[in-house]
Amino acid sequence: MEHKVEENGGTLVIAFSGDIDLQSSPDARKALLALVGKGAPILVDLSGVGYIDSSGVASLVECLQSSKKSGQQFLLVSVSEGALRVLQLARLDRVFKICATLDEGIAAVS
Amino acid sequence: MTAETISGEVLSGGAALGVASPSVHDHLELLAEMGRDFASNQDLDVTLKNAVQRITEYVDAEAGALFMLSPCGLKLLCNACVGPVEITGLELAADQGIVGFCVQNDDGKIVRDVADDPNFNAAVDSETGFKTRSILCAPMSVKGERIGAIELINKRGGDGLFDNNDLYLLQALSSSAGLAVLNARMSLQLVEQERVKRELELAAEIQRSLLPPASEASFPVSGVNVPARIVSGDFYDFYPLDDGRIAFTLGDVSGKGMNAALLMAKTASLLRCLGKAIKEPGRLLTLVNTEICETATRGMFVTLVQGIYDPENGHVRLANAGHEPPLVVAPDGSFTAIEAEAPPLGIAPSLLDEDGFPETEFNLNGGRLFVFTDGVTEGYVESGEEFGIDGLKDLICSAGDGGTALVLNAVRARIGETGAPLRDDVTIVAVDDTLRANIGAPQGKAAKAAEAGATGTQGEKLMQLRVSARANRLRLIRNTVKETATFCGFVGSDVGDIVLAVDEACQNVIRHAYGSEGEGDISIELRHRVDAMIILIRDFADPVDISRIKPRDLDDVRPGGLGTHLISEVMDEVDFLPPPIDGGNLLRLVKKIKGTASDGT
Repeated sequence: MEHKVEENGGTLVIAFSGDIDLQSSPDARKALLALVGKGAPILVDLSGVGYIDSSGVASLVECLQSSKKSGQQFLLVSVSEGALRVLQLARLDRVFKICATLDEGIAAVS
Repeated sequence: MTAETISGEVLSGGAALGVASPSVHDHLELLAEMGRDFASNQDLDVTLKNAVQRITEYVDAEAGALFMLSPCGLKLLCNACVGPVEITGLELAADQGIVGFCVQNDDGKIVRDVADDPNFNAAVDSETGFKTRSILCAPMSVKGERIGAIELINKRGGDGLFDNNDLYLLQALSSSAGLAVLNARMSLQLVEQERVKRELELAAEIQRSLLPPASEASFPVSGVNVPARIVSGDFYDFYPLDDGRIAFTLGDVSGKGMNAALLMAKTASLLRCLGKAIKEPGRLLTLVNTEICETATRGMFVTLVQGIYDPENGHVRLANAGHEPPLVVAPDGSFTAIEAEAPPLGIAPSLLDEDGFPETEFNLNGGRLFVFTDGVTEGYVESGEEFGIDGLKDLICSAGDGGTALVLNAVRARIGETGAPLRDDVTIVAVDDTLRANIGAPQGKAAKAAEAGATGTQGEKLMQLRVSARANRLRLIRNTVKETATFCGFVGSDVGDIVLAVDEACQNVIRHAYGSEGEGDISIELRHRVDAMIILIRDFADPVDISRIKPRDLDDVRPGGLGTHLISEVMDEVDFLPPPIDGGNLLRLVKKIKGTASDGT
C-alpha cells in the first residue's frame, strides 16, 4: 500500500493505492491521523484501493471521529468497487460522506 | 311419678322382637319406608326432616328433634325439628341435656318426668314457653361412631307416657338415620377424593404433554421419565434446532408435590420457548434463572442440564446448573463426569449475570452422554441397596453397544423391579453419538447437499497452504483464495466477498489465537463441492485438553467486532468445529455457488 497527500482547492487530499489490510492499516491510520488538526477538510481518495479489510475500515472510522472533534470535514471520494462493497457490508456506507469523484468532493466542502 | 330409665339394650335382643304388639306390622312398614327414603333421597337434610316428621307422628309425640354431633365432637346441633316450637339451629354442649346424655353413653333413654331427671335442660322451655313433661331419646351411631340423636317430646295419646315399644322403634329408626348420615358423608368424601384424583390426573396429563414424544430409533437423543407419584418434579426435553443441531434439557425441581410439578411446567416451557432462539445454553440458563428468581416460591429451585448436540460432528456444549454430573461414556468404555460449575436455578438472581452460566464443550467422538436425576442413582434395587452411580456405570457397560434405548429400559426395569413405590422420579436423557459413527452417512445440512447430487459432503480438496501466522502472509492467502474461488465458478462481488471472509478469519488467528505474531502456523484448506466452496481454517495454538473439560467463554476464542460481522455477512455457513485431536481451532466457512440445485434462494 502506498499513499500520497496533496493540497487541492483548500482541501487535504490523501490518496491510497494498493491493499489496506492488517499489514498496512497501521501505516494508513498514521497517515490519516497526521491530517487531523490541520483545519482543512480531509478527502480520502480510495480509487486505487483494490482491497480494504476491517482493520482498514476501522482506521477510517477512527479518523472520521477525530476530524469531527477537530471541526474538520471528512469525505471519501472515488471509492473503488471493492472498497465500497466492504463499507456496505459493514453498514458504514451511510456513516461516511461519499462522493463519486474528487471534484464533487471539493465542491461539496467549499 | 318417678323417673324411670330403661336401657335400650334390654330391648334390643330377639326377646324384644318377640313382644309382638299389633303395631309391629306398621313398625316394619315405617322402617322399610324410611329405609327406602334414606337410600333414594339425595338431599340428606330433607330426608332427615321427613324422618323426624314421620316418627313424631307415628309415635304420636307433640314434638321431635334430630341433633347432630359437630365434627369436633364438642357440640350438638339441631338439624331438624317438628312441633309447636322451632328449635332448628339450636346448639347444645355435647353432653348437655337428655340428648347429650344419650349421645355420650350411646344408649337410648325414656324419661317419664323430666322434673326428676338431673340431665334435663330446662333452659329451652323457659325460653320458648313450651312445657316438656316426658322425653324419648335414642342415639344415632354406627359401629361406635357417634353421629347424634333423635329426641321425641311429650306423648299425646294413652297415658301420656312413652313405652318400651316406642323406644325400640326409635332406636331402629335412629340407627338407619345414622347410617344414612354416614353414607352421605362418605360419598361426599369419595366425590372429593375423586375430584382431587381427577385433577391430579389432568395435571399429570399436561405434564406428559410437556415431555417430547418418543424418538425414532435413528434419532440420537432419547429420554425416559417415571414419576414416583402421579405428578413429577422432573422433566426432560429435546428438539431439533433450525441449524440441524439438537437441544436437550433435563431438570429436577426441589420437592415432589404439586408445587414442584407447577414449577417444572413453568421451567420446561420457558426453556423450550427460549431455547429455540437462544442457542447458547449458558446464556439461556442465565435468562431463565433470572425469571425463576423473580417469580418462584421462596426456597424452591431447579437443578438442570441444558445442552446442544451436533449430530454432524459429535460436538456437545452444555451448561450444568447444580445438577448431578452427567456421564460421558467414551467408545472404549471409560467414563468422564461433567461437574456442575454453577448453582441451581432460582438461587442467585444476579450472581451470574455478568458472564452467564459457564459452559462445557467437548466432543463425544462416537461415545454416549447420559444425563440423569438423583432418582436414578438413589433408587432402590432388589437387594434393598441404592442403585448408585456405580450401578448405572455397570449397567451401561453391560449394555455394550446395545444403544441408549437398551440402557434406558434397563435402568427403568432395574429400579422398578422391587415393586415398591419409587423413592423419587426417575428421569434420564441419553445422547447417542455412536449412531453417527456407525452410519457414517451424511446427516443434517450435509445430507441436503447429498440429495442435491453432490459427490461428497466435503467436496474435492483443491488447495492447501500452511503459512506462518503473520500479517504479511495475508496477501498471499488472499490471492490464492481469489484464484480458487474463480476456479470454483464464483463471479462478481462473490469472489471479493470470499477473499474478505477468509482474510478476516485469518486475521483473527494472527491477532487472537497466538500470543504474538509469527508464533505459529495457519493452515487453509480450500475445497470445491458441487454446490459450494468450503474453506477450513486451522490454527495450532495451545491444544484444548478435552479430558480437562473446563467452561470456556466462546467469545475468548471467537473475537467479536467488525471482522466477525463481515464473515457472517458474506458466508452461508460459519462453524467452529470441535478442536482437532492435536489441538488448535478449526473454523469452517461455506459459500454456496448461486444457481446450483441445492441453493434454496
